[in-house]
Amino acid sequence: MKDMKTFYTGLVALIVLGLIVVPFSVNVERSYLIYFLFMAFIYVVIAQGWNVVGGYAGQISLGQHAFFGLGAYTTAMFWVHGLLGTGADYYFNPLLMILSGIVPAIVAIIVGIPLLSRLRGDYFALGSLGLGEIIRVFFVKGGDITGAQDGLHLPSGGYESMLPYYFVGLLLAVLATVGVYFIMRSRIGMAFRAINEDEVSASSHGINILYYKILAFAVGAFFTGVAGSLYGIYIFHVNPDSVLNINYGLYPILMCVLGGSATIFGPVIGSFFMAGVFVIAEQHFPMIHPIISGALIVLVMRFMPTGIVGLKSRLQRD
Amino acid sequence: MENLLLEVNGIDVFYGDVQALANVSIQVEQGAIVALVGANGAGKSTLLKTIAGVKQPSRGDILFQNQPLCGRRAEQVANMGIVLVPEGRGLFANLTVLENLKLGAYPVKARAHLQESLNRAFELFPVLKERVSQKAGALSGGQQQMLAIARALMAMPDLLMLDEPSLGLSPLISKEIFELIHTLNERGTTILLVEQNVNQALKIAQNAYVMKTGSIEMQGSGLELLANPEVQEAYIGKRWSKT
Amino acid sequence: MIAYLSFELIVQLVVNGILYGTIYGIAAIGLSLIFGTMRIIFLAQGTMIILFTYFGYWLLELAGIDPFVSLLIVVPLSMIIGVLLYRSLFKESAEMDDKNASLLLAVGIMFLVNNLMLVMWSANPRMANTAYTEVVFSPMGITIPFTRLIALGLAILSAGLLTLFLKKTYLGMAVRAASENMLYATLVGINPHRVNTVAFAIGIGLAGVAGIGVLQIVPFDPFFGFTFALKALIALALGGIGSVFGALMGGILLGLLESLGSFFVGGGWAEAVAFGAFLLVLMFRPEGLFVRSVKKA
Repeated sequence: MKDMKTFYTGLVALIVLGLIVVPFSVNVERSYLIYFLFMAFIYVVIAQGWNVVGGYAGQISLGQHAFFGLGAYTTAMFWVHGLLGTGADYYFNPLLMILSGIVPAIVAIIVGIPLLSRLRGDYFALGSLGLGEIIRVFFVKGGDITGAQDGLHLPSGGYESMLPYYFVGLLLAVLATVGVYFIMRSRIGMAFRAINEDEVSASSHGINILYYKILAFAVGAFFTGVAGSLYGIYIFHVNPDSVLNINYGLYPILMCVLGGSATIFGPVIGSFFMAGVFVIAEQHFPMIHPIISGALIVLVMRFMPTGIVGLKSRLQRD
Repeated sequence: MENLLLEVNGIDVFYGDVQALANVSIQVEQGAIVALVGANGAGKSTLLKTIAGVKQPSRGDILFQNQPLCGRRAEQVANMGIVLVPEGRGLFANLTVLENLKLGAYPVKARAHLQESLNRAFELFPVLKERVSQKAGALSGGQQQMLAIARALMAMPDLLMLDEPSLGLSPLISKEIFELIHTLNERGTTILLVEQNVNQALKIAQNAYVMKTGSIEMQGSGLELLANPEVQEAYIGKRWSKT
Repeated sequence: MIAYLSFELIVQLVVNGILYGTIYGIAAIGLSLIFGTMRIIFLAQGTMIILFTYFGYWLLELAGIDPFVSLLIVVPLSMIIGVLLYRSLFKESAEMDDKNASLLLAVGIMFLVNNLMLVMWSANPRMANTAYTEVVFSPMGITIPFTRLIALGLAILSAGLLTLFLKKTYLGMAVRAASENMLYATLVGINPHRVNTVAFAIGIGLAGVAGIGVLQIVPFDPFFGFTFALKALIALALGGIGSVFGALMGGILLGLLESLGSFFVGGGWAEAVAFGAFLLVLMFRPEGLFVRSVKKA
């Protein structure tokens, strides 16, 4: 047991080390590999966000795109309207990126209180889907503050290299994964699992169900918002169609389930896999790329619904 | 043992990692009332669910009329003539009394006798006839239990399994239910009964098993067990002082 | 804005809302059936509807078959597709009681079909035109397009037929029983795969009806499907899961909300109003506005 743990820690360290070296061995500005890895990092962060709320705590949220968009918009609105003061450097400002996670987390708490206290199971899934759409309307109708349908254009003059994006993405992906690891080992994580397993028995053991559900929802929102912020800085044009796209609500679920939800590395594997599929399909079959992705989802769910990580234990059992 | 209807041979059943039944064997003869008694969590309900095909045993086998039941799903078992009235009665609360009864005759061979079965049900339970078009959920607890049993009979089962039929009923109604079970048995229905009301259950059972923490602890005729001081102390004493 | 307000206008808005809402209603009934037995939100319902809209469009453009005649082809076809979807994809996850897998299968189908349509028919909005597309009745100064009236008739007819099926046949009763409690249903001998298959056949069959209904009413494109699925969900929540009548009424209520909402608060906000109503109903009357449900027995 102990050996396995050392082995896994070593393996992870090796992979991260490898990822740190990659940009120095390819042409960062032109390499598709870098783009693929960057997107994979973003996916890891949002997938881990969903993993906390949907995977571990068992609250299937279909509205994560709202938090992704909120994160991107928080960054964009602070930047465009100069809310951090005129002299501030907004480009990769860590304070701004954290703030872009806190805003969605606060929204998650505010809407989570009514939603999570009253809605269970599928009804919560439906409710969170509705929430995502309402938030979209607010940004579309937000006038000059949100830039309405056209959204907000960030000053792209600061862009010099893909390198900072790559490393910030890597850092966030690692932090998110390590974060999930420690959350799930703590008392909080035990409470999440207990709620997922059996709410009634969890509450009879003195676990405040609502508190932990909201906490999980907020943590998921925080992760997703920070990822949204990074993506916003990357695309420089934050608008409802780009960052409030329902895809950002569905992808994390897909990646978690594909890799194995409620596991530490499942979402990571799922994210890299899907990012790879997206990138390859985009490159080689631009017309039918989404068809391939869709077909893949269907096939995976049909033939290995417990995900890649689950496949191993399924094989062992058979 | 002549005319063995059901034979459970050394089954193990797990909920996840928790073992609910360990090496359980029971036998039910044709035409008998067999009672399963024991404390809460002893595995009585699990045993019924396993026979009904809701749970699958990880070891051992179950024979019904000499055919193996293991691996069959609940609806297949029901179509073979074993009907379970589960804890909580298993009624469709938003369907009417009549619809519930008709669904009782869902298995094809029972459906052919729908009308006679309905007549018989109304003869046994006149109160249901008055309420045919009411929703099942609107009935009182005792009426619901009657409906649950009536519905089970609609399937013309070879084996009727009742899980805690007296649960939540007043002593008077509960007595009626036991009388009914007795009547049904006299008319030829084989019954496997799980009851907390050990005293009543053992009185009407030809054969009984005492279960404890997932295993069979004792076995004997109903009257034998009723007279057994151990059984009296563990399961009946308290109840007698209460009622 | 108030200056324009007249009795006729209000009536017109109400009529528009009702006529359009019935299409949401049919979509919602389909969702409700599938949710009933499978306990999953079939998110691809809207996309399937638009797929059948394109089928109808093709039949009209390529073979010259009138949209309402093409119902005779599209509805049986859609029911077969429903059966195939269940048998080939959902059966496994239903067997394992894995709702996440089912939900994601629906998402995958939505993604796949949506993009297939995009490749086949492009993103340009289309609308069918027949000799009677423009025909309009105007009783008492109120405009009622003929095609919407037919759609209304279709909705009422299919809801009626479905209700008959659910109430009067053994299989229909089994579907209702399974919707209430699948475990109890299996205990009386109902095969879950059988009722799930029926639910899928009818659910997707209704998508066929709704698809043809849409054909001459609004311009459609492949992306319309997801919006439509959301609308069907709202209608379903408003009306209450598990009731044909409730789902139809939920659709009409949503149509009214949209029609009146977009007049009084403007296009985009009307959507927020609809979703707001959706959330409120989910939270405070999850059994829906039109269903009187008996507590569990």
